[in-house]
Amino acid sequence: MTPWAYIPQLFSAGITIGAIYALVGLGFVTIARASQIINFAQGEFVMLGAMITFFLLKGGGLPYPLAALVAVILVVIIGFLLHITVLYPLRKASIPILLMATLGASIFISNTTALVFGTLPRTLPAFLGNQPLQIGGIFIVPQSLFVLGATFLLLISLYLLSHRTLLGKAMEASSTDPLGADLLGISRNLMVFLAFGVSAGMGAIAGIFITPIFYTSYHAGTLIGLKGFVAAVLGGWGKNSGAILGGFVLGVVESLSIAFIPSGYKDAVAFVILLLILYFRPKGILGSPFIDSRRW
Amino acid sequence: MVDTNQKEFRKRDLLYVVPLWLLSLILPDPHLDHLRKESRFRRRDLFYLGGLLLLPLMWPDTHLHHLMVLAGINAILALGLSLFLGYAGQISLGHAAFFGIGVYTTAILTTRYGFPTFVAFWASALVSAALAYLIGKPILKLKGYFLALATLGFGEIFLVIVRESHSLTGGVIGIFGIPWFSLAGFSFDTYLKQYYLTWGVLIGLLLFSKNLIRSKIGRAFLAVATSEDAASTVGIKVAQIKLGAFVIGAAFAGFAGSLFACVMSTANPETFGLNLSVLIIMMVILGGMGNLYGPIAGAIFLTWLVDILGKYQEYSLPIYGLILILLLISFPDGIGTRLNIRLIYLISYFGRKKRREKAEL
Amino acid sequence: MKGKKGMVLWISFLILISISWATPAYLAEKSPYKIGVNLELTGPWAEVTKTVKMAMVMEVEKINAMGGVDGHPLELVIEDNGFDLGRAAANMTKFSRNKEIVAVVGPFEDNLQATTRAIAEREGITDIIICPSNPMVRSLNQRWSFNIAQSDIIVSQKLVDLCLARGYKKILVFPGNWPLALSLAEYFKRFGEEKGMKVIISKETHKPTDIDMTPQLIKLKPIIESEKVDALYASTGGPPGPIICKNMRTLGIKIPIIGTHAFGFNFIIALGGEAMEGVEFAAGKPVVPYQLDKDDPVRPIVIDFDKRMRARYGVGADQIAGHAHDTIWLIYDALKRCQGKVTRANFRDALENTKGLKSCHGIYNYSPTDHDGLTKRDLVFIRIEGGKFMRIKFPGFE
Repeated sequence: MTPWAYIPQLFSAGITIGAIYALVGLGFVTIARASQIINFAQGEFVMLGAMITFFLLKGGGLPYPLAALVAVILVVIIGFLLHITVLYPLRKASIPILLMATLGASIFISNTTALVFGTLPRTLPAFLGNQPLQIGGIFIVPQSLFVLGATFLLLISLYLLSHRTLLGKAMEASSTDPLGADLLGISRNLMVFLAFGVSAGMGAIAGIFITPIFYTSYHAGTLIGLKGFVAAVLGGWGKNSGAILGGFVLGVVESLSIAFIPSGYKDAVAFVILLLILYFRPKGILGSPFIDSRRW
Repeated sequence: MVDTNQKEFRKRDLLYVVPLWLLSLILPDPHLDHLRKESRFRRRDLFYLGGLLLLPLMWPDTHLHHLMVLAGINAILALGLSLFLGYAGQISLGHAAFFGIGVYTTAILTTRYGFPTFVAFWASALVSAALAYLIGKPILKLKGYFLALATLGFGEIFLVIVRESHSLTGGVIGIFGIPWFSLAGFSFDTYLKQYYLTWGVLIGLLLFSKNLIRSKIGRAFLAVATSEDAASTVGIKVAQIKLGAFVIGAAFAGFAGSLFACVMSTANPETFGLNLSVLIIMMVILGGMGNLYGPIAGAIFLTWLVDILGKYQEYSLPIYGLILILLLISFPDGIGTRLNIRLIYLISYFGRKKRREKAEL
Repeated sequence: MKGKKGMVLWISFLILISISWATPAYLAEKSPYKIGVNLELTGPWAEVTKTVKMAMVMEVEKINAMGGVDGHPLELVIEDNGFDLGRAAANMTKFSRNKEIVAVVGPFEDNLQATTRAIAEREGITDIIICPSNPMVRSLNQRWSFNIAQSDIIVSQKLVDLCLARGYKKILVFPGNWPLALSLAEYFKRFGEEKGMKVIISKETHKPTDIDMTPQLIKLKPIIESEKVDALYASTGGPPGPIICKNMRTLGIKIPIIGTHAFGFNFIIALGGEAMEGVEFAAGKPVVPYQLDKDDPVRPIVIDFDKRMRARYGVGADQIAGHAHDTIWLIYDALKRCQGKVTRANFRDALENTKGLKSCHGIYNYSPTDHDGLTKRDLVFIRIEGGKFMRIKFPGFE
């Protein structure tokens, strides 16, 4: 059997996983658009969203939508706390320090989760059952469609936030030209603070949507966060649409690569693409608004 | 960075003077370094050297020796990275990969081909440096976060290759039975001997780096770290300088990897992940970027900290994360750097006060 | 004023120090026998080691409540190694430095075991390894190292029996890319082909961190269809197991799935849900305490242990907890047989001469040539039905 025969099914699998990378990547972009900080604890928000929902659902006995809502709010609060306690005191620090601080926060959050919620991997019930749909020889779980839908809804709402509201514009201004924003009376710290809340909320939503397909566990956040970040850079650092495109490209290429090379190399594929993109077109596929600024 | 700390005199600084003076015996002072006759062997260096030689004899404790061997290996890694991160100002999240290349080179050469460890030791550094050259050439045109991401990607690709090439590296199972380090028939088979070996290598590399940063290349490192644009206008080939720092750092990591393979006697892909890279960067940052003793102090401190935390069981990593964040927030430019700046300020304050009094009289 | 404050501070500091020194003073009259425990309590493997710790602490308390070993209480000295080679090795020297520590348990993961076993050999301290899964590590045959869990060899033999009983002729193996999973796959192929089965080991593998196996399974699907494979053997452990089952059912692959002993945990069923129905595997006896034979000598021990686990922690016994339980009772038994002269060397000799000790997982026998305690008889066949583990029996293949 030639590798080409698997392509349609592999493609659909790639789209699902790509939507997940895209959802996670959006969170990175939100913070970057306000402050040019890279928050390596973003993956932990994804994990926390799913974990807290699970415990409200199973332990607290709340109905599913309510549990999800409460979880998102709690994660947003955690995002705010992360900014106040870690990144605000370090607002003048250099890149390596910020990098280490968010990584330290990631270690702290994931292991504290292990202490509070236990170490067993958990999964959430699917929104609409697990019966796979068969469309022309391709099998899809209904949950994948929800993930796709959530990706596009979040993209649209982020677009509206940054292009149709004053707040979004202020956030963007404080990132592209901090001094100019300061002169216009935009509080940069407030903008970063809000961005952390938004990105934490998006991480939590991503976690709740994707966990029914897979599972979550206290240490699952780091890897998925990393892949989401790669997706965001791939598509064009600092662009919401870039993160979405990058996520899909990454997911599909990773999935399709299986048809031609042994699956052990699957994880390397993402990073090889990353290195190629960084070398030949550091702006990413769609171009990046930040890439010419001096910090990069 | 410096001047925010020097704005004013605080009463409580008087309390710090004595401990700071004691600390100044141990800690390096980056800013005074340029003013002194640097080639001279200072009293402080003798103090360190004596301490190092006597330490294991004063505490004949296997665990301490073992820990100091690990600390020494970490210190070599941190020293190499500090040339790249601290002096040339670039981030690498893939330093553990070069360490891994060192470990695997030694493991393969000694177990498969029966080379003596001493040859493998040099070969490890050479292979690491050669790969660093090949990798560094394309990716070092990146800066900041993107460079961090690219090096991270390289680290992950390295891990995948190690896991998948079963015939060469033993895949996930790894390589066992690497012999002790031996030199001319003398085998370093106890932790005490390994202690002297590791710290001997470290001192050698330290002297090399000391001379390096005082040379023309070292000045160029500093210039690149401060401003790449300015450096290139005065005729420094920025790309070459960065590549040089990267390759030297990788060679150090190769040495460290070779020593690690001989101490642990196994090679396994799980050891060279992102965690190790992060730990090394943490050592450099905590020790203070832009000086050579800092990373070594940072390596000893973090190795010791991680060992102590072991008894807190499940709480060890949360506490570790918390300590890292707190240290970063309170000493964003390194513990050594911050304390020294304070001390320098105090000394100069008293000096100025005397002069002021004279003028008033 | 300032001085007074300082005095108060100093005094409170001194009091604090004296309190912290005073508390660990042991009330028992005889000095305790200490056991070092070197575990990955943080890092990616914390999910299993937490159970180990819980069960060990409970059993040690039980032994101490019974009066200890000839009046000496047992004491665990637990250290976390964070899944780091350097830390695990440093913990070993820390334990061997402490003269009161008789033996060391752990580490759990095989990446760390080769080094710690070598240190144990050098320092002359017993290293009891709960789950030595790396075939290279297991084959080292070191004097001071003992293995607790069923080896991959006997698990593979038992699984081959399962396939023979079910009449499977052609099996496709989908191995994970880590030592245990790979060696399970290899041994399964070797023993299966001895019995005349056709075993295909897929070139596709998966990693413990993979969250989606769909791509690999898509590539396996045509092989399954064209080769008319009877069953798929998921040689894996932890979360990938249920993911494989879920993804297979999503892709419409309907052949039976055979699992490893690592499927015998409740969280596996919770993760996989309906997709886990009908999965069959061989596992240790603590998975199904109440379904063991009435005349099984192990049955009362497992049921008692399960009840105590439920009463104390709210979760039943599982295989890992069973291993931890057995470890402690093996140590207890060996210490008893030292007859008061407990040294590291005496303890090792006593442990090596363990004969017919009945514990959770079965009957342990050690000898100078064999440091694996269990045999094939200590495994049972299990099938997941209705979200529960059900014991299945085949005549002729106990």
